[in-house]
This record gives sequence, structure tokens and C-alpha cells, in this order.
Amino acid sequence: MTTYIIRRLLLVPVLLFGVTVLIFGMLQFLSPVERTALYVRDFPKNEKAIEGLIKRYGFDQPFYVQYWTWLVGKVDKTTGEREGGIVYGNFGYSRSASQPVAELIQRRFPNTLDLTIWAVAPMILIGIWLGVQAAVHHNGFIDQAARVFSIVGTSFPTFVFGLLMLLIFYANLHWFSPGRLSDEFNRVIESDAFRHYTTVLTIDALLNGRFDVFLDALRHMFLPILTLSYINWATFLRVTRGSMLETLRMEYVNTARAMGLPERDVIFKHAQPNAMLPVLTLAGFSIVGLLGGVVITETVFNFPGIGSAAARAATSLDVVAMLGFALFNGFILIVANLVVDVLYAFVDPRVRLS
Amino acid sequence: MRKMFALLSLLVIASMALSACGGTAPTAAPSTGDTTTEATEAPSTDTGTDAPAAAEFKSADPTTMVVANAEVATDTFDPALAYDTASAEIIQNTYETLVFYDGEATDKFVPMLAESWELSADGMTYTFKIRSGVKFHEGQDLTASDVAYSFQRGLLQGGTSSPQWLLAEPFFGVGVDDVSVVVDPEGTLYDDRELLSAFDSAAVVAACEKVKSAIVADDAAGTVTMTLAQPWGPFLPTIAQSWGAIMSQSWVVENGGWDGSCDTWQNFYGMASADNPFSGIINGTGPFTLEKFANGEEIILARNESYWAEPAKLERVILKQVPEWGTRFAMMQAGDADLAVVPAANRSQMDELVGIYQVFDLAANTYGPEQEVCGYDDSALAAAKFTACAAGETGNNGQFRLRIGRPALQMDVLLTNWNIATSEESPNPYIGSGALDGNGIPADFFSDVHIRKAFAYCFDFETLLNDVFSGEAVQSYQLPLAGMPGYFPDTAHYSYDPAQCEAEFKLADLDKDGIAAGDDPEGDVWTTGFRVQMGYNQGNATRQTIAEILAGSLASVNELFLVETLGLPWPAYLRAQRAKQLPLMTGGWLEDIHDPHNWYQPYTTGTYGGRQSLPDDVKAQFRDILERGVSETDPAARAEIYKEANTLYYDLAVGIPLNVTTSHGFSQRWVQGVVLNPIFPGNYFYTMYKD
Repeated sequence: MTTYIIRRLLLVPVLLFGVTVLIFGMLQFLSPVERTALYVRDFPKNEKAIEGLIKRYGFDQPFYVQYWTWLVGKVDKTTGEREGGIVYGNFGYSRSASQPVAELIQRRFPNTLDLTIWAVAPMILIGIWLGVQAAVHHNGFIDQAARVFSIVGTSFPTFVFGLLMLLIFYANLHWFSPGRLSDEFNRVIESDAFRHYTTVLTIDALLNGRFDVFLDALRHMFLPILTLSYINWATFLRVTRGSMLETLRMEYVNTARAMGLPERDVIFKHAQPNAMLPVLTLAGFSIVGLLGGVVITETVFNFPGIGSAAARAATSLDVVAMLGFALFNGFILIVANLVVDVLYAFVDPRVRLS
Repeated sequence: MRKMFALLSLLVIASMALSACGGTAPTAAPSTGDTTTEATEAPSTDTGTDAPAAAEFKSADPTTMVVANAEVATDTFDPALAYDTASAEIIQNTYETLVFYDGEATDKFVPMLAESWELSADGMTYTFKIRSGVKFHEGQDLTASDVAYSFQRGLLQGGTSSPQWLLAEPFFGVGVDDVSVVVDPEGTLYDDRELLSAFDSAAVVAACEKVKSAIVADDAAGTVTMTLAQPWGPFLPTIAQSWGAIMSQSWVVENGGWDGSCDTWQNFYGMASADNPFSGIINGTGPFTLEKFANGEEIILARNESYWAEPAKLERVILKQVPEWGTRFAMMQAGDADLAVVPAANRSQMDELVGIYQVFDLAANTYGPEQEVCGYDDSALAAAKFTACAAGETGNNGQFRLRIGRPALQMDVLLTNWNIATSEESPNPYIGSGALDGNGIPADFFSDVHIRKAFAYCFDFETLLNDVFSGEAVQSYQLPLAGMPGYFPDTAHYSYDPAQCEAEFKLADLDKDGIAAGDDPEGDVWTTGFRVQMGYNQGNATRQTIAEILAGSLASVNELFLVETLGLPWPAYLRAQRAKQLPLMTGGWLEDIHDPHNWYQPYTTGTYGGRQSLPDDVKAQFRDILERGVSETDPAARAEIYKEANTLYYDLAVGIPLNVTTSHGFSQRWVQGVVLNPIFPGNYFYTMYKD
């Protein structure tokens, strides 16, 4: 087990190196002048200044030199200060957001994390529950109803479902608002009295004893969570149902039944845990997807997460920010993959033995 | 699994409980009706009334104005550098200028931070008496030195991405558009701080001293004297915009800005927003302070309680970034947004919910009276969609207010390149074979005036106005816009006329054999035809359609005339323009100041004139007119000078002015006190309130 985990951990730097090379390499398809155009707001008036910029950013250097500069930055000979360097947390300046990319990620990611924390449970648990019910009532009414319910969900484009929710629950019923927080509570969290322990709003609200802020934050996240859940339930249902059906047909389940165990125990104690392996993989990737930002949901509900910031960077051709987001997502993916692999090893002995 | 079901039930119950904390919908209540702002000696929140008291809507929070903007980030709050409307809107509400626009007028000014001003007899020296008792948001007193420093700092910071070229010309002379040109008249130092710093130090210091001697403060007298390089007709409009905003010198220095020394200014030259310490902070004298700045999310302005004039009526202004239109629409419907950016494609959704509307009266140059909506016809165009209620009739009680029909201060112009850049080493990909053989065009194709006129007569303006802009645009006859010297509503202009188009093509002589194409037995453009590419920046549907309209019209006149439309990524489009490679292009211009110089300069001697490769003799003709025009301070005399420019531009068919779009702006019915000055970069919240 330890060897397995160490082996996986050793792979992380290799994967990170691969991700950075891949992401940076894609930029090299553009000429130095085109790359300069991506980094500056407007082209300078004289050609010499363009050349100056190319030299300053080192766009005329060989790939490996540019890559190394991107990784570790450059030290200014006169001031001794280091410019750039992603390993030092300097991802550059985002033109679309008019702020450093690291700051942008730092500000947006806690919101995405907050949404993920609250979306995971309904998204996964209800999806699994629907799948189990469908499998247990195979081809029965509940099975058919659950499948229709989820297929409708998965057939809805996210933005259509999201806008529909907004129309019903916000524009007409005035129950749930878009955004992150109501204005009155925004002023609360920006006051000196409110301490930002974790920067994750709901957790900080509870730690500050501000249940009103906590409820308001949840109220703003309700529709995004509902949208994310509904469009994902079908996948969880399908995977869980298939895996459960397969497990329920296994010999050991029949043996358990033959031994007179109650059906409840057969399903939930003996069949379900073994049926959860593919669901675990799916859950891992779903969480990574949420952490990487859910572009459409965040955009429709005006939720200031990392996904909407990345979408904005992409539509503005803000390459510096896009590189930062891609790198950040790559990092999350690698770490989440590692966690899922380790969990797998815990759940399934075959994995660690292999 | 029962626990799971219980959990689910709990979630649903919780959601219902949370919903009880929900916001409130707009409520019906009596209102005082709409207002318009009256011009005053200094800016004031006083408003006149000109509307019936018919609205019955009231905001849940009358102290806060919420604006749902589309996805636009501000670039910088440094007034010397900001050149985008999103930044300028914030600057205009937090900083202040010496003079300001008089209500909706684009050509009349009232005192702001200057109590008064005088112009010398030779028209070259302005003396501003600075208002006393004015404090910056952080408590510093406004002094004459702050004013002088702000202008000096802006000019010396310069850079071609900044608006400083607008101030450079009056202070340094016509055509000198950056302080780096004062240092090196050869223009080798543009935007390059390192080169400028390494340049002859005497020239570097001399440039700074020249700036300082042109703008002199007298703190004892409370005056600032500005000496221009020549009389400058549009000087007041130039300093009334955001780049003329006044900063506190001590605050700028404290925050790492220029210390005012001529030995250090070069370290701040050409500063980009990313390196600028004032990109995210504000300390102005304006009616609002910057309470919160979360770029790309929201900006909150709070009322400046120590404002030198009457404080604003609104306590707070929240500018939310809401990229998705559907969300903005829902916010407007719910009454949570008071104003919202509505894309042209989505206007009909809002139009259906309009209860009150005002149509711009071109003759009176102001919006007409408010009218209740009693009928709506989606198939009609622009204001004709709405039917006003007759006397005694009750309106549809629609939720929104619409103001429609005011021409914007921007224009699209179809431009031809008179000497297209191409060479054997680097053949131009946009001109086909590069010869008059039916498969391309020669580099000097558009140097023939008949070709340019033929293209002008072949452009179908009606299709552009009605099909592309749904009737919400007017044809431009000239570069100057309505309300500025040089605008003549009946001036000569081109109209769509295929017969005249054909006649002009037949008059052309591209093979230069002295025989017009229509009579040339050896063949010319009429018999050989041509193939040329018209580029546009990808995603710009208007420019794409302009190219397609032109292509269609030309092909209908002669099937041998082939214009291919070509979408280019923005950097490639810009680069090809600057390299003078594009034979045909659409130039768009949003004016900086409401003055003909701001139109003729870029379109003849400046940016676009360069991209069109206009010959030196043509540029010289325009330069002469522009120098006379900009140096003249009498509006009537200026109008006559720019009339010459209009005639020359038309006769030579230098460019084809296409269209000016017209306004179509929505708000909640309770939004009052709006000053609809089209030169403003955004909303001016000082006069606004909710009732």
C-alpha cells in the first residue's frame, strides 16, 4: 500500500512537468509578433517598440529558454528583483480582469470551492440513491420514472435549465437571487468585524457566528447547486444502476439471500459497497470538474467562481490568464487523480496488489 | 436509505425556508414622474420636470442604484492613462475636471473645479481660477499646484495607448501626439521607456521643462495658467473628459507616482495599467468615492458626504458585472437592477415590457416628451414599434422606460487603401495576382478617384440601415457629427446608385493609357474585372455584413467584380492594417471630444489616413485645413473651414461615411434625473435618483 502511494506521488512532478510543457508548447505555434500582440493591450506605434517588447519578453529565444523563463522568471540586473516565474506564484497579469492572474485565482477559487462543497452531496448522493432505487426496482415503475427524470435532466442544456430556474425562482417568485451574496451581507463580510479565516464564505460565516450570512450565501447557491445536481444525476444514476445490477446478479448476493439475510442488508451492506467502485471514479472526476469551475452555471447565475473568470479570459483572448487557469486546472486534476487512486487502493484490494 | 430520503426532504424544506428570506419585487406606489437635468452654474442635482405623473412603480431600495453591466473590466483608474469607457465612467463619477459638460449639451461647458477661466486675446493662454474649499476623498485640500501637476504628469506619462495625444497636440503643436516626439522629433522613442531613458539626457530634461513652463500654478492667487502651442478651438472639450481629471499630488507621490522632478519623469513614461499604482485606487474630488473594487465582479461607489457642492441623492451605486444577458434580464424583471446593458439582438424582449418611452427629436436635439405605450408592433422598426396612448387612454403599465433614437457619437467609415503595400519578397495576400487581370488588383487600384467613387455609389446604405441595424441607425453624410462645427445636414453625399457606379467604373483609367475604361478597346477594369479581399476582424458581424453588402452590390453591377470577405483574428487584422496591406477595410471611431478635429485628424492625417496610404499632397491639403480649423476659436468661422474639409473629403471620396447608430436604452421606470449626454462614457450618477 505504501509503495503504491509513493509510486503515485513520484509521478506527480512528472505529470506536472508534462502539463506545463504541453500548455506552454501550444503557444509556440504563434509567431513572436503574434504572441506579443496577445500580451499587450494595444500594439505600440513604432516597430522598434514591438521589437523591444519581443526582446523584453524573450519571444525570440529558443523554446527551452522561454519555457525556463516562464517557469522561474528573470532577475532584473539593476534592481535584483525577480520578474515572473510560475513556480514563484507569478502567473502574469490578466488583461481581461486587469489584475494579476494569481490574485484572480486566489479571489475566485474559494467561491468555486464553496460551491463544490455544497454541491457535492446532493449531486452525488441523490444520484447514487436514484441509481440504487432504479436497480432494486429493475424495470419497475420507480426504475422507469427515475430514468425518465434523469434523462430529461441530462437532455437539458445547462444554460437553458439554469435560465429556466432563474425565470421561475428569481424573476417570478423572487426566492433565490443570482450572485454571491445580498448587498447588505456583502457589507457585513467586508467590514473589519468579519474575519476571513478560510476565505470560503459559508465556513467563515459559521466561524464568525453569522448564521444570517451563512443562510444568504446558501440561498444564492441553491439554484446553481440544483442545476449542477440535476444535470449530473443522470450520469450517476446510469453508472450506479448498471453497477448495482451487475453486482446484484453475482453469486455471493444470491448466497446472502439464500442464507436468509434481510433484503435490505443484502442490498445496502453487501451489494452496494462493491457496486460503488465505478461511482467513486465518476465522483472523483465530477469533483475535479466542479473545482475547475463550472463555466455555464457560474455565468448564468453570475456566481464569481473560477469558471466564469476562465470563460471571460478565453473570450477576451487573454492568453496569460488562460495559461494560468489551465495550469491551475491541471494541478487540481493531478492532485484529485492521486486522491482517487489512493482511495481506490483503500476500497479495492486488487488495485494495491496489482 | 431512509436517512438519505430524510436528508433529501430536509433539503427541500430548507430551500423553502431559505426562500422566505428572498428579495422583494417592485412595488406599486405613486411617483413624481420623470425629470431632465437643467444646466446650472456648477453641477447640481436640481432637476426640472417635464413629464406626466403616470408611473406607478417604486424601487425596493431608493438609496442604491444597481447597474447590470455586460462583461467589461475596467483597465485603469489612472485618469492620465484610462482610455476605455468602463474606466472613464468610474473616473467621471469620482474624479473631476476643471470644466464639465452643461447637461446634455456636448458643446457647452460649466465650471467644475475651475470657478472661472479667461482666454488671452491671442487665444493661446488659458487662466483658470481654481475653486477653493474643495477636498479630495482622503482629506487633502485641492490646490492650484495639484491641477498643474495633474496635467504635467499626464503629458509626461504619455504613451500611445493613453489618451494623452489629445492634450499633446494643443500643448506641443498640431501633429505632435506624444511627449516622446518632443524629446526626439524623429519619433523613434514612442512607447519605449528604456530607449527614452537612454536618450540624450539634456533633451529628456528639456521636454519636461517645456511641459512645466506651459502649465504653471500660482497657489497664492489660486490660478493655473496654460500656454498652448497655438490657439486651440476645442481646448475646453479636451480638458472636460476623464484625462483632464485632477489628482492630489501628495497622494500620487505617496503611492509611488511621479515626484514632480524633471530628473525622474522618464521612469514613468509610457506606463501600462499593469504597472500603474493608480489602476485600482481612487482619490478624487468627485461626488462618489470608490467603496469596493472587485474587477470583473462589481464596483461599488459610495456618496462623498464631504462633496464641495450638494451631495448626490443616491447613497450608493453598485455596478455589477453580469455577463449573461438572461441573468441581466431576470434582474431587470425582478427589479433588482435599475439599469442594464441590453444587446441589440435582445432588445425585443425588453421592448415588449416598455410602459413609457421617449423619442429623440433630431430637430430640437433633445428627447421628446414621455409617452405611455398603448400598442406594440414587433414587425415595425425602431420607435415605430410603439403606439403612444391617445388622450384619456390608459397605457399598458409596462415595467420599463425606453429612450430611443439619439444618434451615437461613433461612426463606421468604409476605407480604401490608395497605395497597398506589397513587394516581391512579401507579396500581399489580399490583392490576388496584384495585377489588373481579373484575378487581383494592382497596388494603386484605389488611387483612381473614379474607382473610389464607384465603390461609394455601389454601397447599399438602405440595406445596411434597415437589415443590419433594424432601422436604428442613420446614414452619415460627412465626418462631423450633428451639433459640431462643420456639420451640415444637406451636405453632398453618396447614395446607392448602380447606374452611377457603373458610369464611374467606366470613367476609370487603371491601365493609364489615357482612355477611360468604358471606351478602352484594349480593355480596362470594366472588361477585365477584379478580385480583391475585404478583411474584417472575426466576430464583428457588422463589419462582416458591410463587406458582404459591398460584395453583393458590385457583383450585381458587373459579374467580373469580385470582393471576397475575409475574417481575420484581431491581431492579424490590426497588423495588416498597420502594415498598410488591407485594400479595403471598415474603420470605426468613437469620438473622444465632440469636435470635427477629433474626426478629421484620425481619418486624414492621423491613424486611418496612414492606413489608407493617403498621398502626401492629399494629407497636406487636409493638414492645412485642420491647422486652420483647430486654431480658430470662433465656431462660425470654424464651421466654414471644416466645410472645406467636407467638400474635399467628398470630392476625393477619401472614405465613405456609412452609419451612425441611434440610442435604444432601457431603465426601470423609477430611475430619474438621468443626464443623457452621449459624450459621457457611461452614467453620470450625481444627478440620478429613484422615485
